[in-house]
Amino acid sequence: MNFEAVIGIEIHVEMKTKSKMFSSSPNYFGASPNTLVSPLDMAFPGTMPTVNKQAVINAIRVSNLLNMEIDHTLYFDRKNYFYSDLPKGYQITQNDRPIGKNGYVIIDSLDGKKKIEIERLHMEEDTCKQLHLSTYTLLDYNRAGTPLIEIVSRPDIKNGYEAMKYVDKIREIVVFSNVSDGKMEEGSLRCDVNISLRPVGESKFGTKVEIKNLNSVSNVQKAIDFEIRRQSGILLSGGIISQETRRFDETKKETVLMRKKTDSVDYKYFREPNIAPIYLSDEFVQKAIDTCLPSLDQKRDYYLSLGLNIDEANQVLLSFEMSNYFDKLIEGKKYVKTLWNLLMGEVLSYLNKNEIEINDFIVTPSNLVTLASLIDSGEISFNQGKKILQEMVKNDDDPKKIQEVLGLKQNSNLGDIESFCKEAIKNNPQSISDYKNGKDRAFSFLVGQVMKLSKGKVNPQLVSKVMKELIDKE
Amino acid sequence: MKEVTLELLKQCANNLLFDMDQEQYQTLLEEFATLFKQMELIGKIEDIDSVTPLTFPYPCQSYLREDIEGETLTLEETLKNAKEVEDNQIKLPKVVL
Amino acid sequence: MSYLDKTIVELHELLLKKEVTPLLLAKEAIEKAKKDPNNAFETIVEKEALEFASSLKECEEDNLLWGIPFVCKDNISTKDILTTASSEILKDYVPVFDAEVIRKLKDKKCVLIGKTTLDELAMGGTGTTGHKGVTYNPYDPSKTCMIGGSSCGSCASVAASIVPFSLGSDTGDSIRKPASYGGLVGYKPTWGKISRYGLFPFAPSLDHVGFFTRSIEDGAILLNALQGYDPKDGSSLKDHDEDNLKNLKNGVNGIKICVFKEIIDSINDKVILDAFNKSIDNLRSKGANVNIISFPKELLNAIYPTYMVISCAEATSNNANLDGIKFGPRGEGNTYQEVMMNSRTKGFSELIKRRFVIGSYSLFKENQEELFLRAQKARHLIVNKVNEVFEKYDIIYSPCVSKARNPIKGGIDDKLSSTYLIAENHLAIGNFGGYPSLSLPIGMDDGFPFDANLTGRVFEDSLVFQVGYALEETLGYKNLSIEKVVK
Repeated sequence: MNFEAVIGIEIHVEMKTKSKMFSSSPNYFGASPNTLVSPLDMAFPGTMPTVNKQAVINAIRVSNLLNMEIDHTLYFDRKNYFYSDLPKGYQITQNDRPIGKNGYVIIDSLDGKKKIEIERLHMEEDTCKQLHLSTYTLLDYNRAGTPLIEIVSRPDIKNGYEAMKYVDKIREIVVFSNVSDGKMEEGSLRCDVNISLRPVGESKFGTKVEIKNLNSVSNVQKAIDFEIRRQSGILLSGGIISQETRRFDETKKETVLMRKKTDSVDYKYFREPNIAPIYLSDEFVQKAIDTCLPSLDQKRDYYLSLGLNIDEANQVLLSFEMSNYFDKLIEGKKYVKTLWNLLMGEVLSYLNKNEIEINDFIVTPSNLVTLASLIDSGEISFNQGKKILQEMVKNDDDPKKIQEVLGLKQNSNLGDIESFCKEAIKNNPQSISDYKNGKDRAFSFLVGQVMKLSKGKVNPQLVSKVMKELIDKE
Repeated sequence: MKEVTLELLKQCANNLLFDMDQEQYQTLLEEFATLFKQMELIGKIEDIDSVTPLTFPYPCQSYLREDIEGETLTLEETLKNAKEVEDNQIKLPKVVL
Repeated sequence: MSYLDKTIVELHELLLKKEVTPLLLAKEAIEKAKKDPNNAFETIVEKEALEFASSLKECEEDNLLWGIPFVCKDNISTKDILTTASSEILKDYVPVFDAEVIRKLKDKKCVLIGKTTLDELAMGGTGTTGHKGVTYNPYDPSKTCMIGGSSCGSCASVAASIVPFSLGSDTGDSIRKPASYGGLVGYKPTWGKISRYGLFPFAPSLDHVGFFTRSIEDGAILLNALQGYDPKDGSSLKDHDEDNLKNLKNGVNGIKICVFKEIIDSINDKVILDAFNKSIDNLRSKGANVNIISFPKELLNAIYPTYMVISCAEATSNNANLDGIKFGPRGEGNTYQEVMMNSRTKGFSELIKRRFVIGSYSLFKENQEELFLRAQKARHLIVNKVNEVFEKYDIIYSPCVSKARNPIKGGIDDKLSSTYLIAENHLAIGNFGGYPSLSLPIGMDDGFPFDANLTGRVFEDSLVFQVGYALEETLGYKNLSIEKVVK
């Protein structure tokens, strides 16, 4: 018997707003425990939630990028349950009226383009962080109230590869719209997978298994592919799939049982009575959309229009931060290729070697642009440019000053160049006749000889020009 | 609706993370009987289903808060009401996943 | 010489003339609070009150509240001052922030004397269920009749003239009904007009912060000080801050007032009915149009169960934060569930637990339609009908209680009777629609005062005070307190 998998994915995205979803305490990762806390985050009696405007703008932007209908009236609901990491004993979420619904994304599946439908996108708040030690647990409320968006797909995904592509697409969207870091390994993008199998042609769904704790896009794929094999095996041998929650064990590369699911929990949802409806004007929603940063596709098109090839463009776009730095470099639309070469060559290897993030890179874009202008104008060679860059990373000094200090200058004096050229011609008569007989390589050889004679200090473009003129005259 | 029995009430209470004694569940059972009678009267109101459930007393609205970092509590303020604290965090018996 | 049986307006005059100082008032209030025989206090903040009062030197002429002592219900958050909600589960909780109303009164240089008892977590109407036991009615030396609740301590301390005003909260009638047993002006505003930030929530869609005073004018002064948009409260009203003193003395000529016949019919007590009818005559004599109209009885009967289901459902969720982990006494246990279970089992009294179970049951997926959502629909029908009434009338006028003396033990047995369902519970209409609602004394029954209630359209709090002022003038029950009546 052949089975098909029915896969739905719920993605939680932590938003990188300045303040929390319902309180104004700061929202960032890595502060020391319980220092980013306001009375609401501790659920002290009498505190009341207020809705973060930027979180709403972010939710609108992502909804738009996911081609969703956007609700212009916001309502919130309470999801009631007790857990050690849930300060209020309920979570404020949007159960009844998600801000976004009925959207889709297009992914590249193994059979070409495929549309994955998305049921809903809603805003909610994160829980506090638990540190599990050997005999006890410690609670840090810094994360309590971090704004989240949850994106729920319809069960259109059929295999691990599609799931991987889907999660990657969502990640790309939230990262490039500047809504989230989208770092699965740090938990700022979290992914729960629901998966069931049914015989091909059957319309009834099989028993659903949930997979949690997937901390990378590739693990999403591996976990699902494993789970499909596991469930098919059980079904083929006449077994029954039990409703359970599993997690992916990275070392064993398989899913393992976390807990059996008993009756589904009744969350006793009801409307949050402390937040009256919030009416968003059409202008507000439109502005949120219009001021959204360009998507990855839009950026790629732009880079191509400036003369990069597709591989070069994709290379910059691997990192949102890198592409943002590149955008600053190419604001003047000049020296694009040279800037790309500098950034993806010297700069990137410097960053990697020293484990520095591009956001912490000391060299200001304007100085790097100056360097590129020196190279492109022939003032210095590319290799000289690299030498200057090695100095720039120390103090972000003006490349022109460094150039002066190091005495790096390309000789563009026509008289000097002519005399070098003449000497090269005199020494290599065979090459002249080879060139005249149509051997282009002979010309390059001659130019190379000039560079050698000048110890690399003359401008190669000018050498070519002068050499050509001299040979033509002969 | 779920039938109200002593077992169900105990289960409800335990779901809310507290317990009561047997006598108290009995009182509660009687209280439910009265409430159901009263709610029955509401069910009989002719146009009860002609309206939507009302959460807010009158048509009102909330406003969005600007995304600006506000003040935070000091560690002392955050933790002074907690009974067990270690390394500036609230301590609990180990939470089993 | 005693000063605290005076109104805010009278005290302000004396403070201006320097006949008395804030410190003297604070000292007298604290003395009285310490000797209070009615169990009205959770905490007396002697040190803080005296310190603050002694810092007040020059009376601000345009600030009628300058130097006035007051007390506050113990479910309103006060920074660094124990706030228990009269519940064991919060018996050691010391808030780290002030409620907005407390902040505003501090700004006005009012002096907080103490925190007052309530029915546990404000969930009750008898003044008997707080963790410190029964709070008594100052008018009843035999201590058998209730002061009512849940704002029992705030009501008792103003009635006993310990302070000239107090803060309370009102979810069903928790200010306006005890006001009747204490012979006070009791007021709750339009929902959203006074910030709820810092009020421990019982049922937010019905909760209001309000106050007790001994005169209508004092009430209008307080409302002026407490109203205003608060960005910390998501339900706070913008742009509705008129001066409530401006039209206060404009009378009732041409004001349209209605009385629901069904409410009157549900009351048998002759003293109450006579006083109420007399007050109608007074209103008419001042030019008001008062009509007795009919209101659907089935809707009035629906008020109490509707209130129970909605308030218990919201309450079970609001109080889920009380788990012994972040604050409050922590129970023993080897797992977090045991810790929470023991904290909550010990921390809540039986009545509270029963209400939580009722609320939780009403919210279960399979019960919501027939309980919680049906109650919300009933609320909608009632509010729609009342709004229809408000198309023709400015004010709904009613007695607050079915009798002035309500025994603590052995009250109304028949929970399906009109006396119980209507006479004793109709004030929740004000909470259902968020209407401004004001109780004021209209009579005495053998030494026990009782109130009537004026409820107006949303946002028309000023008009309610204006009508209240005119009525107060005709009745002669202004500034009632135990000292005056007993003397």
